[in-house]
Amino acid sequence: MLFRIIIDNLFMRKTIVIIIMSVTTFSFSQEEDEQLNIAQTQLLNLGDLQSGLTIGGYGEINYNDFDNGPTELDVQRLVLLFAYKFDDRVSFITEIEYEHVKEVYIEQAWLNYALADNISLRAGLLLVPMGIINEYHESTTFNGVERPTLDNKIVPTTWREIGIGIAGRVPDLSIRYQAYIMNGPISYNGLYKLQATDGLRGGRQNGAQSQGSDANFATRLDYFGLLGLRLGVSYFTGKTQTTDKSIIGSQVGVNMLGIDARYVKNNFSARAQYINTSLSNTDKYNLAGDKDLGSKMGGYYIEAAYNILPIEATQRLDLFIRYENINQHKEVKGSLNKNLALHRKEWTIGGSYHLSKGSVFKMDYQSKENAINSINNIGQFNMGIGIFF
Amino acid sequence: MKAKKYKLVILIFLLLGSLNSYSQISKKADREIKKVFSIEKYELSKAVDHKIEDFLTKRLLKISNDSNKIGYAYFGTAPSQTKYFDYLVLFDQNLIIKSIKILVYREDYGGEIESKNWLSQFLGKSIVDRFIYRKNIAAISGATISVNSITEAVNDILSYLTQLKNQGII
Repeated sequence: MLFRIIIDNLFMRKTIVIIIMSVTTFSFSQEEDEQLNIAQTQLLNLGDLQSGLTIGGYGEINYNDFDNGPTELDVQRLVLLFAYKFDDRVSFITEIEYEHVKEVYIEQAWLNYALADNISLRAGLLLVPMGIINEYHESTTFNGVERPTLDNKIVPTTWREIGIGIAGRVPDLSIRYQAYIMNGPISYNGLYKLQATDGLRGGRQNGAQSQGSDANFATRLDYFGLLGLRLGVSYFTGKTQTTDKSIIGSQVGVNMLGIDARYVKNNFSARAQYINTSLSNTDKYNLAGDKDLGSKMGGYYIEAAYNILPIEATQRLDLFIRYENINQHKEVKGSLNKNLALHRKEWTIGGSYHLSKGSVFKMDYQSKENAINSINNIGQFNMGIGIFF
Repeated sequence: MKAKKYKLVILIFLLLGSLNSYSQISKKADREIKKVFSIEKYELSKAVDHKIEDFLTKRLLKISNDSNKIGYAYFGTAPSQTKYFDYLVLFDQNLIIKSIKILVYREDYGGEIESKNWLSQFLGKSIVDRFIYRKNIAAISGATISVNSITEAVNDILSYLTQLKNQGII
């Protein structure tokens, strides 16, 4: 692993802390030649001395005190990351997730092959690049004990599918791009899986003996050319999966668009995300399966945070406020009536105390209302710890 | 239908085989040195000529053109999320940062630090300067580990060069 070594400077009898290096014991051959060419300096690569295997992980343990129900204390997730570098061009990355202590999932498992300097081919169980949280879902990277509701009800985080595609960067233009052909959520496997309250979440297959009847396409573009600002556009399209295509109304068409922004300047940070999902054929689906799926669902959130500790400090205490507006019945088709209870508005106010890089203590209060019950807000107090290493 | 699928398989493998332009670190460094100093020929030699050699002296090289010192090159390695990346920092003879370039970045996450625009924040600074994340070095959301890593690495190099300068070695 990494640590900072102290090199005792013999000339000045002063001790200076210098550089990050590996504990791997090694010795360079005494190079007597004055002239070195660049090729020789490559021998100094620490990357070559590093073992091929990297172990990491992240996790969160949460306490949720609901105004209208029993309190829950949960080891929500504990994830172990293994990355193996076969050589400079080929690597394998996997995350093994324990959810609620007892459920085991594979969250990612893909082979990465660098075709050229800044473009890789990826294949395996991949994260769907939709919005901010699905890709960057480690608890230390977002404010709030719980992930934004938009990234639960509309984007079914942590959303992953088996697929193949490319990921790359254009450093001169400050652009990152991804494009994958992948499997998608399932709408019918004998049972009708999708309904309005959890949207596509009910159709998540997580790569476990997943059924594939129709290829889906996912793409995302990130732009970070303006200092401190990162903009992203995500798009997912295709038909849902079914085990029987002959049944009329066993599939719906999905067109999901995401736009997001993150901004950091000194102690201030902010983020915003908009997601709109258009579903086609919902009238037939609802009729066949006796469901209430809307033809449009989506929403947005905006969040602002301010670090009240000095900027030079290693610790950070971000106080934040977030507003979310989500509607799973933005539009409905056929004989279905809009359920106003599916239009949610949520305020979250709290803090993220980053004790170190990679560890955080979080606390917040959420006030949730819907279009029917806008007077009697339901509150929720949350506490949690998060780690990422 | 079957024949079509066979053809597709063969086509994909031919395509994969033809994409083989993963460039060498040395070539990239060579190009960068020539570009930054606007020269066609140069020599590299040890910048620190002492009997006791350590890890750092190996990584700092003097750039000369016809035996005239024109600057220094530092070849560094720093950690990203799960791997290491290699970078090059070029200084002119007054120890001003003329260029900083990521030579090879071995994973996708954090690769945003290759952005020319972002790296340009380091340019023109001298060894008395220090970089503080979010203060004079902008954050990149989603690349925090690598942003901190390269920022600390450059600060360490500047400290090291300051030390060498104070000792009259460079």
